[in-house]
Amino acid sequence: MQNSTETVFIVDDDDDFRDSMQWLLESDDLTVVGFNSAQQFLDNYQHQSGCMLLDVRMPDINGLALQQIMIERGISLPIIVLSGHGDIPMAVSAMKHGALDFLEKPFDDEVLLRQVHQALETARNQANSQQEAQQSQGRYASLSRREKEVMTLVVSGKANREIAEVLGISPKTVEVHRSRVMSKMQADSLPNLVHQAARLN
Amino acid sequence: MCPEAETDLQRYKEEAERYRLLADQSTDMISRHTATPDWTYIDVNTAVERVLGYTVDEIIGIKGYNLFHPEDADNLRTRANSVSYRRGMYTNVYRYRHKNGHYIWLETTSRTIRSNDGEPVEVICVSRDVTERELAQQATRRLARVVEASSDMIMFCKHESLQLTYMNEASYISMGTEKENPAVFYLDQLFTEDILAKLVRPALSHAADHGIWYGSISLRLPTNPKRIAEIREVIAHRNRTDNNRVEYYSIIGRDITLQKKAEDEAKRHQLEMAHMARLLSVGEMASGLAHEINQPLAAIINYCRGTLRRADEGKADLETTYNAMRLVTRQANRAAEIVRRMRSFVKKTEYQRIEFPINEACREISHFLHQEAIDHNITFDFQLDSNDPSLLADKIQIEQVLLNLMRNAIEAYSECDNRYRPVIIRSRSTDNYIYIEIEDEARGIAGEQLDKLFEAFYTSKSNGLGMGLAISRTIIETHGGQLWAQSDGETGTRFNLKLPIRDK
Repeated sequence: MQNSTETVFIVDDDDDFRDSMQWLLESDDLTVVGFNSAQQFLDNYQHQSGCMLLDVRMPDINGLALQQIMIERGISLPIIVLSGHGDIPMAVSAMKHGALDFLEKPFDDEVLLRQVHQALETARNQANSQQEAQQSQGRYASLSRREKEVMTLVVSGKANREIAEVLGISPKTVEVHRSRVMSKMQADSLPNLVHQAARLN
Repeated sequence: MCPEAETDLQRYKEEAERYRLLADQSTDMISRHTATPDWTYIDVNTAVERVLGYTVDEIIGIKGYNLFHPEDADNLRTRANSVSYRRGMYTNVYRYRHKNGHYIWLETTSRTIRSNDGEPVEVICVSRDVTERELAQQATRRLARVVEASSDMIMFCKHESLQLTYMNEASYISMGTEKENPAVFYLDQLFTEDILAKLVRPALSHAADHGIWYGSISLRLPTNPKRIAEIREVIAHRNRTDNNRVEYYSIIGRDITLQKKAEDEAKRHQLEMAHMARLLSVGEMASGLAHEINQPLAAIINYCRGTLRRADEGKADLETTYNAMRLVTRQANRAAEIVRRMRSFVKKTEYQRIEFPINEACREISHFLHQEAIDHNITFDFQLDSNDPSLLADKIQIEQVLLNLMRNAIEAYSECDNRYRPVIIRSRSTDNYIYIEIEDEARGIAGEQLDKLFEAFYTSKSNGLGMGLAISRTIIETHGGQLWAQSDGETGTRFNLKLPIRDK
């Protein structure tokens, strides 16, 4: 399943190497955008979705530093770290800070492409869950104050009778609120509602 | 007694008196001795007082033999070199004890008076003090021995013909010939025609005009080509009696075979050191170099795999593939260039002086350090002499020094927080010298450490051997230059290099 809006970003100061990466990735119909420095990437990135191939050794801002900046700025592109000879400690450190994987140059194209696709899928999943979170947020906003109270008690596992006692209303009324919550949150089951509630926090 | 006899007696007496007068007037000491082994004095003229310090009365009766110097006492008996024999008379030169106890040199001619039946009766001696002459001769003999035994080559050579009239032992040894068969008879046999005309003849005429010439001219030793020798001094000797004309020359030379050998040895040793240093620096840079080579290799693999994938999917047209091949070639060349650069750097080379532009060498070395510079965030700042001066020196060795200094400058930043990290490389030239400065703006080096910087095995790095600067200084000094460091101990260090444009 190919999504044409997904981009593979390559950040590497070696122009020739970057060019060859593009050549390889394009053979697999991927959209590739290259940057020769961390700064260039930061200046031009527009929150497109995709993943990043990041060289650890670079002048000025190296790979690790860029990763930190991205975390600070909330840029959540999945990162595959590319390392040259002898950069293993740096690669390990990048992994600890949440990089998806690391590859030592030169590498097997099968492995690279598999990891790129995996990274893109991770990105998609991230995007999906982000989208769902936004939707749940919107639905939750449409609930009345009483409905929100009912929902909080429902997802904490309380029975209608208990909720009625806590709120000082009749179980019948709780039942009405509860079915409105289910319908407004577009939850077809209790587990689904719990899931959405968890995402809201 | 008859009157005639009386007259005769009177005449003989007078004659004897005249002889005595004659003997007493003589400055030579005339003495009579018993013909016994102890040569006891029987009679002597008054000269004895001046020669030996004794009065006539004192010496008569003394055993003459006892006054001989112990080493000379038996000269006559042993027919030593100092004794000559001529017409029944012996002449002997020997040391004899003065009354005051010191020895003087005497030359004595003696004759043994024999009776009619041949028995020795007494010995008559005529002796003269030759101390002054002997001492002078002794000095001359010693001088001659010094000349003969000198380790310098000493030759005497006639003025016009350039015939060699004397050569000392050292000369024969250096020429590989012997006194009995010298093989070299004329000075001009020892030089090529060119050198003879351009250097030797001017040296001789300079000596003739000024008495002496100093310098250095290589000898050609046709009889012993393995030896290396040169003449260093020519002294002209003038004849004082004959119009003060130059009579002959003393030529003083020196066999420098061993010295040359030692110098060559030292040079080879230094080459070894420089080679070691290069291997060490390449070893220390291995990680960076491997990374540099890895880049094009990784790119090549990417191009190849990308092309193969396109081919698998039937998307590889000729133009795309051609394009990829072109890119692969470029990357392969890039890798090859890195390997070539590294190889030529570690290659073991003979000492070779070539003329090369110093600015280019500085840039080349900075390329070599490309990766280290990136890792340390270094900016190279070149402030090079716009006249693009060239240097006549061993390029590989000078590059080694530049590499050491630049690496030091880069590593100087490893423990400081500066964001801007320049390594400044300056060159400038005067008529005779090229100056190169390599400067960092890191923390600098404190005074007492600055002094130790060039000592072998002194290092501030955890993984260094401390040989870099020591070797660098040796290399620069062999080129007739200087290498020194300046630092305020706070804001940076500057290494200064001063090299003669053409070393001697």
